[in-house]
Amino acid sequence: MSSFLEVSHVRANIEQYHILHDISFHVPKGEVTVLLGRNGAGKTTTLRSIMGLTPVIAGEITFKGEKIRNQKPHLIANRGIGYVPEDQGIFHDLTVGENMRVAMKKENEETKERMDWILDLFPDLKKFWNKPGGQLSGGQKQMLAISRAYVNDNELLLIDEPSKGLAPIVVEKVMDSIHQMKERTTILLVEQNFMMASGIGDRFYIIDDGQTVQQGQMNELKQDGVLLQKYLGIS
Amino acid sequence: MDVLFSLAINGLATGMLIFLLAAGLTLIFGLMDVLNFAHGGLFIWGAYTGVWTYQMTGSFLGGIVTAIGVGLLLGLVTERFIVRPVYGSHVQQILITLGFMLVLQECIKVVFGPDQKIVSPPSYLEGSFIIGEIVFINYRLFIIAVGFLIYFAFYYLFKKTRVGLIVRAGVMNKEMIQSLGVNIKLVFLLVFMVGAALAALSGMLHAAYSGVIYAEMGLEFSILAFIVVVIGGMGNFKGSLLAAILVGLTQAFMAYYVPALSLATNMLLMAIVLVFRPQGLFALR
Amino acid sequence: MNLAQVEKSTWVYVAISFLLFVVPFIATGRSVQFLIIQIFVFGIFAMSYDLLLGYTGIISFGHVMFFGVGAYSTAVLFDRFDPTMLTFALAIIISGVIAGIVSLIVGVLTLRLKSHFYAMLTLALAGLFLVGAEKWRKLTGGSDGFTFGLPDILRDSFALYIVSALSLVLIFFGLRRMTKSPFGKVLVAIRENESRTESLGYQVLHYKVIVSVVSGIVASYSGVLYILSLRFVDTSVFATDLTIDVLLMTIIGGVGTLIGPIIGASLIEFAHHWLSDLSDVHWIFERWIILYGTIFILIVVFFPKGIVGTLVDRFYKWRARRT
Repeated sequence: MSSFLEVSHVRANIEQYHILHDISFHVPKGEVTVLLGRNGAGKTTTLRSIMGLTPVIAGEITFKGEKIRNQKPHLIANRGIGYVPEDQGIFHDLTVGENMRVAMKKENEETKERMDWILDLFPDLKKFWNKPGGQLSGGQKQMLAISRAYVNDNELLLIDEPSKGLAPIVVEKVMDSIHQMKERTTILLVEQNFMMASGIGDRFYIIDDGQTVQQGQMNELKQDGVLLQKYLGIS
Repeated sequence: MDVLFSLAINGLATGMLIFLLAAGLTLIFGLMDVLNFAHGGLFIWGAYTGVWTYQMTGSFLGGIVTAIGVGLLLGLVTERFIVRPVYGSHVQQILITLGFMLVLQECIKVVFGPDQKIVSPPSYLEGSFIIGEIVFINYRLFIIAVGFLIYFAFYYLFKKTRVGLIVRAGVMNKEMIQSLGVNIKLVFLLVFMVGAALAALSGMLHAAYSGVIYAEMGLEFSILAFIVVVIGGMGNFKGSLLAAILVGLTQAFMAYYVPALSLATNMLLMAIVLVFRPQGLFALR
Repeated sequence: MNLAQVEKSTWVYVAISFLLFVVPFIATGRSVQFLIIQIFVFGIFAMSYDLLLGYTGIISFGHVMFFGVGAYSTAVLFDRFDPTMLTFALAIIISGVIAGIVSLIVGVLTLRLKSHFYAMLTLALAGLFLVGAEKWRKLTGGSDGFTFGLPDILRDSFALYIVSALSLVLIFFGLRRMTKSPFGKVLVAIRENESRTESLGYQVLHYKVIVSVVSGIVASYSGVLYILSLRFVDTSVFATDLTIDVLLMTIIGGVGTLIGPIIGASLIEFAHHWLSDLSDVHWIFERWIILYGTIFILIVVFFPKGIVGTLVDRFYKWRARRT
């Protein structure tokens, strides 16, 4: 079975340190897959490896059946993968509108429709359209980053810890919007906040010390107190 | 009054030439974090090849086109073979581009001979006219016009076009712009080539302005470009325009009123800026 | 000192040093001795540069100002006072003090900033020194320069040879000692990773400033020797070309080796004197900078350790393979 995104036995180093030892998982089309794990387990590096930002030493990554391991980031992005990094990667001196414009490879009916849809989801962005990205609040930055990744006809979104550093009420809003985007695109989500992730995830993988150690359906995990305690420190 | 005015025009014209030279350097630094000491080499190659074409064909415009073409080509070579191996290390960049600068400068002597060359503006840009008591020299006005034209062209490019936005975004966050599907290396190369072409154009215009060119101008103008970029703030496009005009005006006025110090003007300006405001006079942060 | 503990390489250097003092008995021609003196002078100058670039990773574009300070202090003192050895000693001290103060000020002001700021400020100051030398005609004679008398003993090229050779040897061993000391190890740590060294608790700025002061003083001393061998001074001792020469010497010879810059100095001086002479044969020899510039670029990219560093690496690899 060749699934939508398939990551198998990926290993990666940053400088001389092994960060990823053996990462394997797959992301089925149309679902939300969540990578869970403690701080420093290798979740962010996994996303970076998929994007081609961190070189992969061993293993394979395929997207829609094609090998994309260690391709240049822009080529991977142009295959239809959108990326929301941990720090959101907002271009601070560009306005909200300019941030969106940089992201739009084409301007046609379809992107226009996607743009309208996402702006309806995040009316704040429309309100601050001419404000520099650096002056947005944390939640607004997150919304901008997600919109920017979505606006091209990307079939897969990699979203790195969207709840990080946000107030609970804002987290809810962001999560709610990701829930709505689920209808339209496939999502690979990295999250530390289990409560949040459990609300929108279909499948989960747990990464610990650079390895995928557990996997399953999200609603099974909710029942499994032992697992939660062991890898996520939730009791 | 008329003296003040002609000094100002003088300084403005010089400033515009310096701006064209420094603009490429500051772009390259801002976008790629590259310190390019070979920039003056591109300047003299633009000057010599442009003047050669101009004197061979009699077409000043042909000279300008040649200079720009040579600038683009040398920019390609410099980025591809000189700068690309040393991305990320300032020390190595300074060393290698300085070495390349020397080679470019000596190659000028090999190709065009070691003696200086005399140049004059084309007939349709020569001459002057008088309004009131002020003398306007046509070629200087021409340079000022070209300088502003190019500044506003780039200003428009950066503000209004997606290409310009990509360049600005690339300065801020290289990884993110790649993750949005932009081939940043290609953008780098193009910016480098455009920067080199601006330097070459500056060289060609300067040749007819000062009336004489010689190979050692390469190092002199490399240094001058850096002085301006440091004063304006490394990587700051608008800053380099203001700094170039400041340097041009100061030069003009010092040469008239305090000739003893005129040689030291640039160095003094830069030393003051480095000591009191190392991020540059016109830096925002 | 236990002789058995002395490194083998030290003995090699000691032996070579003794050879240096034999040379003038063999090469008795004035012009040959003059050339070798130039090599010694620029060897010292390049070593002082290596201390900055090779050991600490600081680029200076105005190193020539220290050289020029040494040259002018000496020339002016010999011009104003009786040409005695006392004046000579005074020249060394005064130039050292000026160079020390200047490098201290520059260092404190810019060494905390990114590498290119030091390069640019030294460039600016060297430019100001050059303009100063051109404008302060009463003292310097402007761009025409002036000649001056020397103590009788220093007029003899053999004596001057001995003085320069001795200086080279002593400075070489002095700096070698310094770079092999714990202090020198910290410098290398700064070059390799400045922020890590800082986080280990070292006051990086202090180390850098001290190095720049030592380097400035040594450079000014080379300027003193240089001007003694010329017996004439003009503004060319402040020319940017000299900084570039010394940069070429250091890089081509091998950064961070001390002996490399001396070898680099020999090569460049050789090129200055003999390749330029060859221009009668073919004009291309006049443009020897192209050759050296190309070598320089290739070395920066492919052999960042220069001639000496690369040879040393090869030697160790070869020895490791044999055992």
